[in-house]
Amino acid sequence: MSQETIESLVRGILQEMNSGPVKPVESSASTSGSGTAATAADYPIAQKHPDWIKTKTGKTLEDITLANVMSGALTPEDLKITPRILNAQGEIATSAGRKTISRNFTRAAELTVVPDERVLEMYNALRPYRSSKVDLLAIADELETKYEAKISADYIREAAEHYEKRKKLKGDN
Amino acid sequence: MKSKRFEALAKRPVNQDGFVDEWVDEGLIAMQSPNDPTASLKIENGEVVELDGKTKEQFDLIDSYIARYGINLERAEEVMGISSKELAQKIVDPNISREEIVELTTAATPAKLNEVVGYMNVVEMMMAVQKMRARRRPTTQSHVTNLRDNPVQIAADAAEGALRGFDEQETTVAVARYAPLNAISIMVGSQTGRPGVITQCSLEEATELDLGMRGFTAYAETISVYGTEQVFTDGDDTPWSKGFLASCYASRGLKMRFTSGTGSEVQMGYAEGKSMLYLETRCIYLTKAAGVQGLQNGSISCIGVPGAVPSGIRAVLAENLIAMLLDLEVASGNDQTFSHSDIRRTARLLMQFLPGTDYISSGYSATPNYDNMFAGSNFDADDFDDYNILQRDLRVDGGLRPVKEEEVVAIRNKAARALQGMFEKLGLPKITDEEVQAATYARGSEDMPARDMVADIKAAEDLLARGTTGLDLVKSLATSGYEDIAESVLNLLKQRVAGDFLQTSSIFDKEWHVISAINDKNDYAGPGTGYRLEGAEWEKVKAIPNAINPKDI
Amino acid sequence: MAELNEQLLRSIITEVVAEMSTKKEEQKISFKETPNETETTSDWFKVIGEAKAGSSRDEVVIAVAPAFAESQTTNIVGIPHKEIIRQIIAGIEEEGLKARIVKVYRSSDVAFVGVEGDHLSGSGVAVAIQSKGTAIIHQKDLQPLSNLELFPQAPLITLETYRAIGKNAAKYAKGESPNPVPMMNDQMARPKYQALSALLHIKETKHVVIGKLAVEIAVTF
Repeated sequence: MSQETIESLVRGILQEMNSGPVKPVESSASTSGSGTAATAADYPIAQKHPDWIKTKTGKTLEDITLANVMSGALTPEDLKITPRILNAQGEIATSAGRKTISRNFTRAAELTVVPDERVLEMYNALRPYRSSKVDLLAIADELETKYEAKISADYIREAAEHYEKRKKLKGDN
Repeated sequence: MKSKRFEALAKRPVNQDGFVDEWVDEGLIAMQSPNDPTASLKIENGEVVELDGKTKEQFDLIDSYIARYGINLERAEEVMGISSKELAQKIVDPNISREEIVELTTAATPAKLNEVVGYMNVVEMMMAVQKMRARRRPTTQSHVTNLRDNPVQIAADAAEGALRGFDEQETTVAVARYAPLNAISIMVGSQTGRPGVITQCSLEEATELDLGMRGFTAYAETISVYGTEQVFTDGDDTPWSKGFLASCYASRGLKMRFTSGTGSEVQMGYAEGKSMLYLETRCIYLTKAAGVQGLQNGSISCIGVPGAVPSGIRAVLAENLIAMLLDLEVASGNDQTFSHSDIRRTARLLMQFLPGTDYISSGYSATPNYDNMFAGSNFDADDFDDYNILQRDLRVDGGLRPVKEEEVVAIRNKAARALQGMFEKLGLPKITDEEVQAATYARGSEDMPARDMVADIKAAEDLLARGTTGLDLVKSLATSGYEDIAESVLNLLKQRVAGDFLQTSSIFDKEWHVISAINDKNDYAGPGTGYRLEGAEWEKVKAIPNAINPKDI
Repeated sequence: MAELNEQLLRSIITEVVAEMSTKKEEQKISFKETPNETETTSDWFKVIGEAKAGSSRDEVVIAVAPAFAESQTTNIVGIPHKEIIRQIIAGIEEEGLKARIVKVYRSSDVAFVGVEGDHLSGSGVAVAIQSKGTAIIHQKDLQPLSNLELFPQAPLITLETYRAIGKNAAKYAKGESPNPVPMMNDQMARPKYQALSALLHIKETKHVVIGKLAVEIAVTF
């Protein structure tokens, strides 16, 4: 672990201790451990709640600097959105009257842990005539068991049912 | 004898356009086809069992998806009970707030909104657009492409475009395998011109997502949806796969919007005999249902189809309006050549330009049209001065500002040199000083020296194979002496961590402050309210370089 | 070049409407004295059976859309299909490869016609062409809507270009990386031709048969 990484981790932990429990907790993916959902008043997060932002390796917004890029302290992993922020943005969208967006962000929060290549494969598998029903159900199970992506898994199962009815499965063309 | 007057008229540009009579059974009708369904909705145990004349058993994939996710059922029955004419009047009335309207319209069915806009003429629609667009301030987007996929030219054109005021810039390819080079060139050029401009590269859906994940683009727009199941399938997707794709983008912190437009179903051969607007309304609902924040619509690449039939351009405005009624960000077309006639193409622009939309054009060509690889836009680089003067004449903010020649030359040169440095550090084919010089002063690709396209394509494939990411672009810009641009590209990558620009109608100012429908909500409520072109921005619009200063005489 | 005028449009519409009504009739009546127009092949373009997957690596498949050389015989600007095919073949043969022609029925979309073609092609490379003239070079491992080269503006494609398309397809089949065929762009093609293009495509789409496998075509010039 580089010095910068350690520093930013420590800084993050300290910040958290000082500001008390912060809203949605990363590990519990969905919502808060601590009450109220984010609202439009918390927006933009980058300006109003930079403390909510902590990347996979514990970096904060302040750590995303040119110096850290040049020293190699920052990796592409540090530039990925986290479930916690997606859920908070979903709550903000809901508070602005846009519930369907938050549904999308909930699925997205689950998908953050699926590797790039695999998520692309899953998308391609959902395209018409690519997969059998069994194939799709297997992806759903993978999402549920391997990535704890329950909502996305159900979404794929729902697709499989509809594809069967409307003949969009492999071999139907 | 031939009439001399008719002889002259026959030579007018407008008579080179293609026009067609309506053909109802094939869906060659803009709006209000006698075959469009009558609005209806039945809900049982919280589930939609009848939608616009079809029972659940008769639903195709699009109906099912809309019924499942696309309508706010809480007030649906109440709204379906209000007459369409009354709804239309409420929408146009500036005394009824946008919020109140959205609550009603998001609880209506596709056929209902299709009926509602049928009561409006274009002036009423423009009144409605002024009130209903999501973001308070209007803006616009560009296309930056060229016939030879020349990366140096893309960077220079993008820098100029950003300087002129485009908040989003879009590229695409003449040859698909060039994509990564085009994507990084427009990104670097845009950040050179004005930090905060976001960029995209229009491609096949999976490839487009891939480039976004690597950090070569910041948002995506060409995620196409269609209004009939067969055309959707020919578009190589289903509502569920498109919804999943939407979540993929959000999961990587990338902004995205869908694309659809009147005429695509006729163009692709399966319109099921419905009007273009009704089918488009289904696309808009599908976008809403997928939880996507916005939509590019306004016929887009199919504009020649509604443009050829009666009331077609009215239908195009109507589809923009319906997207706003569903509380979506709207990038409102005006992005494809539509007519040989300057009169006609201007009239078509004014429908969105006058009331203002989130992006008046979803691709104003920042190059001359001969370089526009979307097959030409409604307005192009040769129209910049006309556009600026339209803004000045009418005191309308169309998103662009007058610029000085020396500023443009300087910024084009800087972008070309930065790209030259970055290419060298990344081990991409050399950009010569001659190319930098040519790009600095070029009008279009005719003024550019030829590049070895085979070498570029190989390098583009290699760039992907090597796993190059946005951070590598930042590093190579910094080490070649362009720390400010490196900083800016890094800032762009940084935005995906905060996710603020995933919200509806987001753009950035030059300090990277997000401006969206959350913190810059449209509050139009009649004369004297809402966005007005005033203060410093109006001074900029007024200041065209070629105006005579009375003091000088 | 054919001018787009009211008369031409009218004649196309009349033709399509006539075709539609005969088609509807055909669905109702199970026997008919005169053979269906779509089953008639012209003297130079003959169906010789089901198309098989090729195994020879030195072939490029030319996949044509359902109405090609039958109910439609020229592209959008009046270039005869016969000449187009002759030039694409010549381009392929110039590179020392063989051309094999198939007709696809399951789709009228140029990309999907290409996908069916490249799956039949021994080299995995296919040129697909719609009756209105839109062409694509497609390779087996690509996503359907991706491509090696795409020629979306049919009115601009000349016979020389069709030949160059054949030649480049053959080069890809040989594993080479040719210079792409120079792209042409006419921003006024859309206002002039799009409605006509839609009509021609609707007309072609009437000949799509879901589930029907591609057929092998023999050509004589």
